Amino acid sequence: MKQAMASFLTVIALVLVIPTAQAKGDGFNEVVRLIEQFYHVKHQGVPLLARAGIKTATTVARISGGPRRQIAEAGSVKVSYFEDQDFGSAAGYPQFKAQMGTTLATNWSPLIQVASPKEQEQTYIYLQDAGEKFKVLVITVEPRDACVVQVTLSPQTLAKLMQTPDEMGNAITSDATKDE
Amino acid sequence: MKLLTRTSIKAALLVLLTVAATASVRAQDARIQTSQLDALAAKASETVDVNIDESLMQMTAKFLSSKDPDEAKVKALVNGLKGIYVKSFEFESEGQYSAADLESIRVQLRNSAWSKVVNINSKKEGSIEVYLMHVAGNINGLAVLAFEPKEIMVVNIVGPVDLEKLSDLEGNFGVPVLGIEYPKAKRKN
Repeated sequence: MKQAMASFLTVIALVLVIPTAQAKGDGFNEVVRLIEQFYHVKHQGVPLLARAGIKTATTVARISGGPRRQIAEAGSVKVSYFEDQDFGSAAGYPQFKAQMGTTLATNWSPLIQVASPKEQEQTYIYLQDAGEKFKVLVITVEPRDACVVQVTLSPQTLAKLMQTPDEMGNAITSDATKDE
Repeated sequence: MKLLTRTSIKAALLVLLTVAATASVRAQDARIQTSQLDALAAKASETVDVNIDESLMQMTAKFLSSKDPDEAKVKALVNGLKGIYVKSFEFESEGQYSAADLESIRVQLRNSAWSKVVNINSKKEGSIEVYLMHVAGNINGLAVLAFEPKEIMVVNIVGPVDLEKLSDLEGNFGVPVLGIEYPKAKRKN
């Protein structure tokens, strides 16, 4: 009887814990995991987080046409990099796009998705309203490299970047990962 | 038995009313569905999918500066817009999309709210169809269907579009440069 009760309680605990754990998922880690599973690759940690924050701000400063350092308070920047690995997949781009959509469906809105399957290049930008700011998730997949960048931007910065959404992913990713 | 019949009639009327109401709401909504084209991605050499929804449009309009001339121009352009949606597919060879794919877009634009204002047909340079949605004398949305033998593109702008300023929107917010000379909007008094 005690054993049955313990099992019952374990099941209840699991039922209660699993949705909490899922709710805590911010999308960034889930996307990194998806890339690893889909392409059978392994991400590398990039110890550039603080610097990446400054670089992102620099991009925005450049876009806005001046040294507007106040945008530097972009907040947390997360970067995950996949270097010199094979991103060819038999399942192909539509399958990956669909899985990405499912992974981020709950909390993120797709802004732009560009893919050149022949060149094996894909860029995805997702947005999340984070109260007074916005989180932007940029996923870039190329034949040998991939990168996942998450930045927190002020609405002013996002509004500027929104004018050219097709350049937005490049601007954020290159500045977040460039080693100047 | 009578009660059953009355109940059935009431239920049927309710269903009819709901269907009519839904259809009416859809007729006023300038957002067109393009997800049926997603299957083309498997054959495409390049795909672009831009989704700027109402909250993003409003946020952009709110935070662009009125003092900066360039930003003020864009701000005026997007003010009141409820969304910009672009989907395009480029193919390596011809015949990768079908007439049915085009028809899946056109069928949504075949109601009294939408009118075709531009229709360019060129076998060499491709075809462009521009549709406007009018509701109570106001423009509520725009749809562009552009296609060439190796390319298909759908642009959907939801909200009050100023046709005379529309070309300014090209190249911004993911709207491609279409190079269309738009007819001047008719002013209704």
